[in-house]
Amino acid sequence: MPSPTTPRVHRGVTFWTRLITGQLTEKEFGWLLLSPAFILLIGIFLYPMVNVLLLTVRVQEIADPSKVSTSFENYSRLLKDQAFIDAFWRTLWFGILTVSGSFLIGLPLALLANVKTGWRWVVRIALLLPWAMPQVIAGTMFAWMFNSQYGLFNDLLLRLQIIEQPIRWLLQPDTQVIAFVVTTIWKTSSFVALILLGGLQSIPIELEEAATVDGASSWQIFWRITMPLLRPAIAVALIFRTLSALQVFDIPYAFKQAGALNLETLGMYIQKTTVEFTDFGYGATVSLGLFVLALIITALYVRFFRTDD
Amino acid sequence: MPNKSNKFFVAFALILLVVNGVYPMVWVFLTSFKNDIELQTTPIGYLPQSWALTNYQQVFVQQPFLQYFFNSVFVSTVSTFFCVIIAALAGYAIARVNLPNRRLIQTLIVAASIFPVVSLIVPLYQMMRSFGWLGTYLSLIVPYTAFSLPISILTLTAFFQGIPKDLEDAAMVDGCSRFGALWRIIVPLAAPGVATASILAFVNSWNEFLLAVTFASNQATRTIPPAIALYQGEFSFPWGIISAAITIAIIPIITIILIFQQKIISGLTAGSVKG
Repeated sequence: MPSPTTPRVHRGVTFWTRLITGQLTEKEFGWLLLSPAFILLIGIFLYPMVNVLLLTVRVQEIADPSKVSTSFENYSRLLKDQAFIDAFWRTLWFGILTVSGSFLIGLPLALLANVKTGWRWVVRIALLLPWAMPQVIAGTMFAWMFNSQYGLFNDLLLRLQIIEQPIRWLLQPDTQVIAFVVTTIWKTSSFVALILLGGLQSIPIELEEAATVDGASSWQIFWRITMPLLRPAIAVALIFRTLSALQVFDIPYAFKQAGALNLETLGMYIQKTTVEFTDFGYGATVSLGLFVLALIITALYVRFFRTDD
Repeated sequence: MPNKSNKFFVAFALILLVVNGVYPMVWVFLTSFKNDIELQTTPIGYLPQSWALTNYQQVFVQQPFLQYFFNSVFVSTVSTFFCVIIAALAGYAIARVNLPNRRLIQTLIVAASIFPVVSLIVPLYQMMRSFGWLGTYLSLIVPYTAFSLPISILTLTAFFQGIPKDLEDAAMVDGCSRFGALWRIIVPLAAPGVATASILAFVNSWNEFLLAVTFASNQATRTIPPAIALYQGEFSFPWGIISAAITIAIIPIITIILIFQQKIISGLTAGSVKG
């Protein structure tokens, strides 16, 4: 407790006395301010994660849930679990589609939103609405629009004579994937656009003007100046989008509630195992798998994007 | 560089952007006025036959929607309140106090948002059960406060760093204690940053679904997102009534966006610049 670098503090007085009299050292003051945040973060993030690790060895017999033992059986069960394997690859595939899609749409949206017009606030609101909507509500809205008989999309497609028969969007695996991807991209491209917009707005306009004066075309300006400077923003949007794509739960759940064919994602599988089966050990094992996947992706991200920090 | 056809193209693209952002809400709004018969005829009609508010009445009759609404407001407000206070303390510590390992602390805080919430459901559920919090407001308020902490701390730290240090030093020369300087000088100046962090935290809490449907889905504490998802009609999914419920549910969000759009954008985009 005695510290060689705090000459002003009386050695005999305890921390608590100093707290009351307002004579804390710089370090103590700082940590005091930080403590509530750290307590919450450790309590809600770190401690549960450690628990997940410990829970994975709690094996509950499927036939008789009251019989609980300790072994590594959950892991072997995981590797043979077809439902898990399906959910895993499905989540990965969904992730690739929606993350790339949200950037393909998000970048043009950001560029458009950056254009100086008098209607800027309308554009901003149109960008914010999808972001601010609860995912579950977005999922329900789109489930209705994808409804086989009375949905908006089928009606438009039929009227434009693009299709001849209504598509049973949510009831078939292939078409449900499309519906899910469309819904998710609608919601998340706004998020990506907002992050990229921040990046765009921090690019000094003089750079672009100087390049134009030097005779660069719009394309060259975009690729040589804008995109490289957008790299930090792209990185931030990418890691947030990827991590949330791994956990996707709300929108598929909304589809399921609306009567869709049950295409489970990892998130849904974990939630189901926890709530419907109360098999905490197995749920924890699947959760650990998801966490490891998230760590790998984060490590790849750091390796790829932070090498020039 | 901008010529006539360029401008036309941009205008057209902007219209597409706006349409893209609002069309689902518009469609749901129109649906909320249609009765069961209209909803089940093909080809479908676009405009409702009448603007009667029957569906909206049914929303409050069939389920305690007012209770759900209150639950959302309560949980979101309380968690935002505590989150911002705790984040402000932490942000001030990182921005101003001469702590060693400041970068490490910041990295650790941001690292918390890497933990997949879905992975935490299992132990959190057990925790809530052992505390007796399942089915109570606390099971949502405490996690929500924690979930919004990283982004709030990030926002407020950046904000505090933008306030000139001399102001506090002047106050302390004039006899203010450390806490006094914090209260009298920093807090009023930090109001815009606090507002931004509050809005982001509020929206995050309002929209949260996974914990809400797992921990507190009983009618007394159910919030709006599970209320919409768990809406079971007597026969099939009552789309007219659900559309009305959705419309009611997104009014607060739309209001917040309309009033605070500048702050929200600056809060979100600041995150991208700080990286």
